[in-house]
Amino acid sequence: MNTRELTRPQKQFLSGVFPEEDCLLSPERMAAFSTDGSRLRAMPLAVVRPENSEQVSELLRWAHNERMPIYARARGTGTVGNTVPVQPGIVVSMLRMDRILDMNQSDFVAEVEPGMVTADLQAAAAAKGMFYPPDPASSGFSTVGGNVSTCAGGLRAIKYGVTRDYVLGLEAVLPGGRILQTGGRTHKDVVGLDLTRLFAGSAGKLGIITRLTLKLLPLPEATASLLAGFCSINAAMDGAAAIFQAGILPSALEFMDRSTLNALREAGSSPLPDTVQAALLIQTDGSEQGVALGLNRLESALKRVTPERLLIGRGADEKQLWDVRRSISPASFKLRPDKMGEDIAVPRGKVASAVEAVHEISARLNLPIMCFGHLGDGNIHVNIMHNASWPEELAHAQQAKEEVFRLALSLGGTISGEHGTGLTKAAFVDQQLGSNEQDVMTGIKHVFDPHGIMNPGKGW
Amino acid sequence: MTDTGNCILCGKCMEVCPLLRASGQEELSPRAKANLSALLASDIEALQEKDAAELAGLCLGCGRCKQKCPQGVDVPALVADLRGKHPGFRGWLWNKWLKHARELWPSTSLAARLIPSGMQPERLSPFLKAMQLLKSGNGLKPFVRIKTLPKNHAGTSMMLFSGCTARYVRPEWQHTALDLLSRLGIDVVKGKFGCCGMGLECAGFQTDAAQMRDTNVLAWRKAGKPKIVTLCASCHKGLAEYSKNFEDAVEARQWIEALTPISRLVLQGCYVLTPQAPEWIGYHRPCHMQHQDTDHAFLSAVLGEKLLEPDDRQCCGFGGVMQLGSPELCTQVNERCWQSLDGADTVLTGCSACVAQLAASAPENIQVGHWLEILDLEDDA
Ligand SMILES: Cc1cc2nc3c(=O)[nH]c(=O)nc-3n(C[C@H](O)[C@H](O)[C@H](O)COP(=O)(O)OP(=O)(O)OC[C@H]3O[C@@H](n4cnc5c(N)ncnc54)[C@H](O)[C@@H]3O)c2cc1C
Ligand code: SF4
Ligand code: SF4
Repeated sequence: MNTRELTRPQKQFLSGVFPEEDCLLSPERMAAFSTDGSRLRAMPLAVVRPENSEQVSELLRWAHNERMPIYARARGTGTVGNTVPVQPGIVVSMLRMDRILDMNQSDFVAEVEPGMVTADLQAAAAAKGMFYPPDPASSGFSTVGGNVSTCAGGLRAIKYGVTRDYVLGLEAVLPGGRILQTGGRTHKDVVGLDLTRLFAGSAGKLGIITRLTLKLLPLPEATASLLAGFCSINAAMDGAAAIFQAGILPSALEFMDRSTLNALREAGSSPLPDTVQAALLIQTDGSEQGVALGLNRLESALKRVTPERLLIGRGADEKQLWDVRRSISPASFKLRPDKMGEDIAVPRGKVASAVEAVHEISARLNLPIMCFGHLGDGNIHVNIMHNASWPEELAHAQQAKEEVFRLALSLGGTISGEHGTGLTKAAFVDQQLGSNEQDVMTGIKHVFDPHGIMNPGKGW
Repeated sequence: MTDTGNCILCGKCMEVCPLLRASGQEELSPRAKANLSALLASDIEALQEKDAAELAGLCLGCGRCKQKCPQGVDVPALVADLRGKHPGFRGWLWNKWLKHARELWPSTSLAARLIPSGMQPERLSPFLKAMQLLKSGNGLKPFVRIKTLPKNHAGTSMMLFSGCTARYVRPEWQHTALDLLSRLGIDVVKGKFGCCGMGLECAGFQTDAAQMRDTNVLAWRKAGKPKIVTLCASCHKGLAEYSKNFEDAVEARQWIEALTPISRLVLQGCYVLTPQAPEWIGYHRPCHMQHQDTDHAFLSAVLGEKLLEPDDRQCCGFGGVMQLGSPELCTQVNERCWQSLDGADTVLTGCSACVAQLAASAPENIQVGHWLEILDLEDDA
């Protein structure tokens, strides 16, 4: 049984497999691994840093026998506490396994280790004229392994899909030390159950991924963007509908509601006039000529719904438009010092109803709540701003969060489109998943991890 | 006391930390340092303050994380604070080195004697080598001749802030700078500048650093607040960060506006390359080049296609006091830096610490120098 301290033989085992700096046992060194983007905290019993799958296999054989909880960790940027070792156990830091093993221009495939930073992979692909589309806002400081394990989404999901759509195959080590190879380098493969996809979004609950085979695309030559301001959220939705009706599939389609725009105004980061109550930020990509044409068509489609303001960005100007989007997070703290950042998703056609219902919650509970996000895939970031040191406001924020989750489910949506449930949303999973579904998931997990040592204590 | 409470653990700073990138050790990341520092402030019993301070002290002081943080967390300042509270022998040693640069730097044997016997001298060898090379190196063979220099500064008065390295170890940089200033028709006002204080500040010697700052501001005031010409990106940054030494906000602004990198003065000149010019020239952008990089603008105008595109993510790995604490980690960072300079026969930079570190670690047949060394002042075109 696992206790709160490692025995001497356990420590000897770990430092035998992971020499010197690769086995951390002191609380000072382990403190960094006790928390993540969720700001929740629990101290691990040890932290180890594998450099190859053999070490991971040895570790998981031992952990399986010892019934020792195992927490895979990459950059710890997840926001729901999925890497926090809530039951005393071993944190496995994957950052030493960060190499590109192959990047092939005829197969359009990259083979990488999971600790590679996503933006580094994108840069390496771009240097060879190739494109790895998944682009969570954290791509500069999170890893492909973390992205696959959370099935990270991003701005480009509307056109290119999410992380799972780019995983062709993988190698994972399972409790007991078995090494599983799934999928391969082909873009099609229908032999057997799709075990590769099972790992996308599995949050370290099945095994530890040690190698990934990823699909690449040809790199688009150019991009251009438009920022359109509207007098109401419904007018903005009409704008989005006009884009789709014109037969255009943008590479990003973001929206911002009036609370978001207010926060941006207060921070001095909004280029839009005060009459604007909702905005769309749209990007198109492709060849130089295609983008010029796409921009024209976007412009005329949007003009049909008479926006209050239309700003076009190419080259350096384009970056300025996206800086508006990037300023949302820092600007939000102008409203209140604390934030509950939820990421519900609803069917695309329900976004306007969802946003209006959130505004109603915001007015009733007297809390600033910002809605913005990926309109193209119905993924709405709901930022419940509050001051956690005022008990009443904290209670209202908690109530707002619960109402927002119920709202998403009532509209046929999900309580999380990107971040997962981990610790912060585990209690709400039952509202979304029935007992039948959860039983099947538990059964599947049992096949991979019979003793339940992989990331225990977290929600589905 | 630096505020530790603002870190929201978002991890954005991890994108730019050269130490995390080179080592893969998350406990060395800026977020880990901000976290440790917050934990110490909240009196978590499990942590040994000394060990935590030592761990957080493993920082190159490059300042990249501070630039990136949306919450305004200043990790290098947190680190300096922790070092200040737990100076230990490493900080002491560094203090000696900087304060007595004149006595120490010309003699590495003397420096070696300062290392306590418990410490293996070979672990310090890269650092000592850096010092040695700085002392003994002959510098680069010049390959750029001046045709004309801009005239718009003629008749103005300026002070030269040479910095410790140009004063004690590489006096030829100072000579070149003075020569350039006189050719530009600038009247160089004499004044008693000391060290900029940045090295001391980072090592946790805030009081000594404050003294240096007072001396420098006083010297400038006495000279009638002229422009201050700098040769080294780190000194420039150190000076630009003075905030508490001024009479009022007006004087503080005058100080910032007075700071002038020497490359800005010569940017508009006309130059020719001599046949001795190397084929491919690399440029290392110092981490502390946080003002507009006129060194690079000057070099790209003069060297044209010979100048390879710099990789802005690399740190040379000098690391100041960290060089004494963990030379191995500094070496890992340095190796990455050299990988990014692949293809260059000569590497130029504009920071004395970067010159030292890169010169000491350069692969065979690759020359490293301050860009001032490429100017041929003997023989005008
Ligand atoms: C500022 C900011 C912006 C963000 N933007 C987005 C966004 O736009 N879209 C989005 O989807 N998310 C976003 N996130 C959340 C987060 O960045 C993602 O969840 C990311 O995928 C996590 O990657 P990581 O490398 O930090 O992994 P970690 O947080 O370390 O781990 C995440 C999960 O993956 C598991 N894991 C990691 N590596 C392995 C492995 N090798 N094998 C098995 N399991 C593993 C962990 O156990 C954990 O459950 C954002 C976060 C921040 C702080
Ligand atoms: S120091 Fe700043 S950038 Fe780094 S984790 Fe903390 S808040 Fe984020
Ligand atoms: S100052 Fe540089 S080395 Fe130190 S933590 Fe920040 S980015 Fe890393």
